[in-house]
Amino acid sequence: MRTAYIVAGYRSAVGKSGKGVFKFTRPDDLAADVIKHLVASIPELDKEKIDDVICGNATPEAEQGLNIGRMISLMGLDTIKVPGMTVNRYCSSGLETIAIANAKIQNGMAECIIAGGVECMSPIPFGGWRIVPNYDVAKNNADWYWNMGLTAEEVAKRWNISRLDQDKFAFKSHQKALNAIEKGYFKREIVPITVKEIYLDQNEKKQIKKYVVDTDEGPRKGGSIEALQKLKPVFTEGGSVTAGNASQTSDGAAFVLLMSEDMVNKLNITPIAKLISYSVAGVEPKYMGIGPIEAVPIALKKAGLKLDDIELIELNEAFASQSLAVIRELKLNQDIVNVNGGAIALGHPLGCTGGKLTVQLINEIKKRNQKYGMVSMCVGAGQGAAGIFEIL
Amino acid sequence: MNRNRHINKVAIIGSGIMGSRIACHFANIGVEVLLLDIIPFNLSKEEKKNKNKKNAIVNKALQNTLESKPSPIYSKSFTSRISTGNLEDDLCKISDVDWIIEVVVEKIDIKKKVFKEIEKHRKKGTIISTNTSGISIESMLNERSEDFQKHFCGTHFFNPPRYLKLLEIIPSSKTSAEIIDFLMDYGNRFLGKDMVLCKDTPAFIANRIGVANIMSLFHIVEDLNLSIEEIDSLTGPIIGRPKSATFRTCDLVGLDTLIHVANGVYQNCPNDEVKDNFKLPEFIKKMNKNQWLGDKSKQGFYKKSKDKNGKRVIEVLNINTMQYAPKKRAKFATIAAAKQEDNLLKRLKILVKGKDKAGEFYRKSFYSTFAYVSHRIPEITDDLYKIDRALCAGFGWEIGPFQMWDALDVVDTLSKMEEEDFKVANWVYNMVKSGKKSFYTNKNGTLNYYNVSTKEQKKIAGMENFIVLDNIRKKNKIWSNSGCNLIDIGDGIVNLEWRTKMNSIGGEVLEGIQQSIKIAEKNHKGLVIANQGVNFSVGANIAMIFMMAIEQEYDEIDFAVRAFQRTTGRIRNSSIPVVVATHGMTLGGGCEIALHADHVQACAETYIGLVEMGVGVIPGGGGTKEMAKRASDAYFSGDIQLPTIKKRYLNIGMAKVATSAQEGIELDLLLKNRDKVTIGFNNLINDAKEVTLNLANKGYTKPTIEKIKVLGKQGLGMFMVGAHSMHAAGYITQHEKLMSEKLAYTICGGDLSSPTLVSEQYLLDLEREAFLSLCGERKTLERIEHMLKKGKPLRN
Repeated sequence: MRTAYIVAGYRSAVGKSGKGVFKFTRPDDLAADVIKHLVASIPELDKEKIDDVICGNATPEAEQGLNIGRMISLMGLDTIKVPGMTVNRYCSSGLETIAIANAKIQNGMAECIIAGGVECMSPIPFGGWRIVPNYDVAKNNADWYWNMGLTAEEVAKRWNISRLDQDKFAFKSHQKALNAIEKGYFKREIVPITVKEIYLDQNEKKQIKKYVVDTDEGPRKGGSIEALQKLKPVFTEGGSVTAGNASQTSDGAAFVLLMSEDMVNKLNITPIAKLISYSVAGVEPKYMGIGPIEAVPIALKKAGLKLDDIELIELNEAFASQSLAVIRELKLNQDIVNVNGGAIALGHPLGCTGGKLTVQLINEIKKRNQKYGMVSMCVGAGQGAAGIFEIL
Repeated sequence: MNRNRHINKVAIIGSGIMGSRIACHFANIGVEVLLLDIIPFNLSKEEKKNKNKKNAIVNKALQNTLESKPSPIYSKSFTSRISTGNLEDDLCKISDVDWIIEVVVEKIDIKKKVFKEIEKHRKKGTIISTNTSGISIESMLNERSEDFQKHFCGTHFFNPPRYLKLLEIIPSSKTSAEIIDFLMDYGNRFLGKDMVLCKDTPAFIANRIGVANIMSLFHIVEDLNLSIEEIDSLTGPIIGRPKSATFRTCDLVGLDTLIHVANGVYQNCPNDEVKDNFKLPEFIKKMNKNQWLGDKSKQGFYKKSKDKNGKRVIEVLNINTMQYAPKKRAKFATIAAAKQEDNLLKRLKILVKGKDKAGEFYRKSFYSTFAYVSHRIPEITDDLYKIDRALCAGFGWEIGPFQMWDALDVVDTLSKMEEEDFKVANWVYNMVKSGKKSFYTNKNGTLNYYNVSTKEQKKIAGMENFIVLDNIRKKNKIWSNSGCNLIDIGDGIVNLEWRTKMNSIGGEVLEGIQQSIKIAEKNHKGLVIANQGVNFSVGANIAMIFMMAIEQEYDEIDFAVRAFQRTTGRIRNSSIPVVVATHGMTLGGGCEIALHADHVQACAETYIGLVEMGVGVIPGGGGTKEMAKRASDAYFSGDIQLPTIKKRYLNIGMAKVATSAQEGIELDLLLKNRDKVTIGFNNLINDAKEVTLNLANKGYTKPTIEKIKVLGKQGLGMFMVGAHSMHAAGYITQHEKLMSEKLAYTICGGDLSSPTLVSEQYLLDLEREAFLSLCGERKTLERIEHMLKKGKPLRN
């Protein structure tokens, strides 16, 4: 089997869905901008030598429909020669695409692939415009279709995660993220995106406003645990999961460039990382949040590593309740989990998250001069995914 | 020369409690409003450049008003009709409006200052009026131009202006007849008000009598040694007054307002024969000193507090000790006896004959009111009916003092009043002597009143376009049964009314509908279904269903449901137009009747909803089918469909009740662009009649029955998961989940593999099946029982 390398990776800043910085930005435009930047960062590469663009997306319809993977290839690479495809494994899509690209390069199906994901939750209601569950399935297994919040509550109940612990965890996520932004830790990996807004002013005259987005919008200054404690539960009567201790819905894109060893040598490029193992696992849909509990051990085994060998972890914070359940169950060292904040503060643009966490992980491990890192997340309808990276 | 006058834009000066609410009510009827108030006093130099800071008072006042309950505005979307401003920057804009209403603080010098400023910008011919409740209109005239004086008068709204129907018009000696006539007509047709033209006397009509009544009760409290809660139990719905009776009403209105009116009368009515009644009793003075003004100061005669367990408890003031104590249930033998009698007029007779303290109270209180109003003619008005109308429309009384006097027999009462030393005005004796034994008579369907100056029975003016069923029933009834009357309302249109308990719908009403349509098809041009009870209908007669369900007589229930379905179907399936006029509660079966009409003429205050889930069933009279049909009618090519059916499903699933006709349209219980709103109840049946006539004259053909598109499994999947999630989240009970699933099955037309066009009968059969099945559930029976006993839904 050949070796596949990650040679570069970038992401857009993440905006809050609905009223945030990217509310006028189409997901295909956002992704194309990131891809343009990604490719420009490797001037040695002839664009037409890219074999594929694999794009993760959890709601591929409307603005994200029409095979967004192919569309962003046309829009971002300015050539008809590079194909594109769209992959959906919900919240892990952005990591799944990196694994697929990795596998294809390893077995010789391709030499060079752009992989990652994009999700703009602003223009499309959560779950899509038309949600049509299967009636016969719903009769016996309605919890396969449960909304994510309900599953978070089930996890909180079963693993005894208190409301206070969830709020403390959420607060810390914001603190860590604010710290990272202040110290400029994300500057290298964020592609500044120019947003152009055409609107009518008070006198109904057309105005054009241009601004650059280069900072994650989610983290909240001046918050407090007391303030989080005051929020009402949003998914169940008398529950513990609130808008404050759940991930934010967001807009964002992130992509990495993978190359075969042959191409790396031929172009004389210094690679930055390798995906050394990837796993997916199924768990009971009603406890979807604990997916990583199953997936992580499999990934470790396949990589031939122990948990202690992992020096940094990006564990997607879908909810504080499920994050804490996973951390406690796997006995993760909290000091190395989400050191720059997690989805509760930074946001969770569904199909983009896998790529985003990969880019963040690689940059932070490089900064620390470390070697092994892991990206893991829970996935809707009861799944878990985990990828282990070696940073070079 | 007569010219048209159009009110397209109104300026309201003063955004206090009344100003903001009057603004909302004009927005309700579609008028553009400019709401102005003063700039805050202590703005810095910088702030004085900021428009938002300058408008802080008016903007906050409007915001508070919009958030208050009950809502002063029919729909949030109407808020955009109101623009705010301040008196410095925006007063000039009044040159652009059709009517300016002054609603500033009740101080004559401030009002005069405001009028002076208004004159600088007011365009000639613009109506200018004041909402003063007590200051003489005449006294505001001096220094004003002739044009101002001609177009100036009092327009006294009552709080809350959306819900209390009284609008008193008080002209000055200079007000032009054109303006008076215009306002009397505009107030009725456009604002939906009960109009009363008043003389410029202190407190005009409603407050003069209403406050006199309250003040006399303050004294009776002391004389008869009755407690606050006892008086309230005696002066509430039992005598046709609002639930807030006397003292609770004072708390709502505010003691300061009451004192203000009382002082005004005391100072300005030196010849009032019971002037001393308007003097404040000691306990009122003490309350005022302590600033116990009522709701606005969080305590008055009543106070909400928590007991040591943290449970909410209501405390009442003891006027002797000036201490609060938990509210006690008042018990009087006379009240217990009278409660059995449904008819108010008969009830009054029982009450006034009581042999206990209650009876004594009633005699004292009624007689003093009768005496008082007799002496007010001609002082405050020449026309006694205006006093009744003012109290009904402004204080929520079911009948006014002269109507009460008639009910208790004028002659008999006069002698009793003489025995108890109540002095009545001479004209009453003269009236009786001349052979006229009552203040009101019904002549050939027209309501007349005794005119004191001409000494003749006179027709009440301004009622030409009102169809009052009480007046014409006897003369024009062409068919009836135990619960219904079919009344000829002229021009070939007949009106079906029912008068059952809470206007619920039982077998007699269903028969009434069937018969009315049959008769109208034979001999008339169209049918209006309308009544003038408190509510249009609270729904089907569930007592009957309950009996049958308890006995497990499912064949009987099936028969009853089929009868209901056939009847609502017949409403649509008739050869003459059938128009339903709704008002007040239009729930359950009442709503189902409205859904099948060719047109609904809805009173603005229509509270319509399919509330069957509250009693453990789904609408079984065609209501569920109609919601499927409305969704089906709304689908267009390429439509996503699911949100459309979900919206109509939730109408039933969440037992939504609209808080206005406008909201009813937004819920699709009233049909947008077809159904229309009448603002004022008085005009409702006439408006419905006109629509019916119009439909008939244009050529009416019985509508063809179209098939309905149902979504089958596609819709079912969505609803099943929704119900399951709601239950898992603890938002609905297990039984509600069961009902939700049965509702889904019906509204989706069953588990069909793909969307299908089905007949109405197919859906009606599914409805009936679900209804019957739920009647077999214990929890449904518990819900029905709870509703029958407590009048509130049970969530088991």
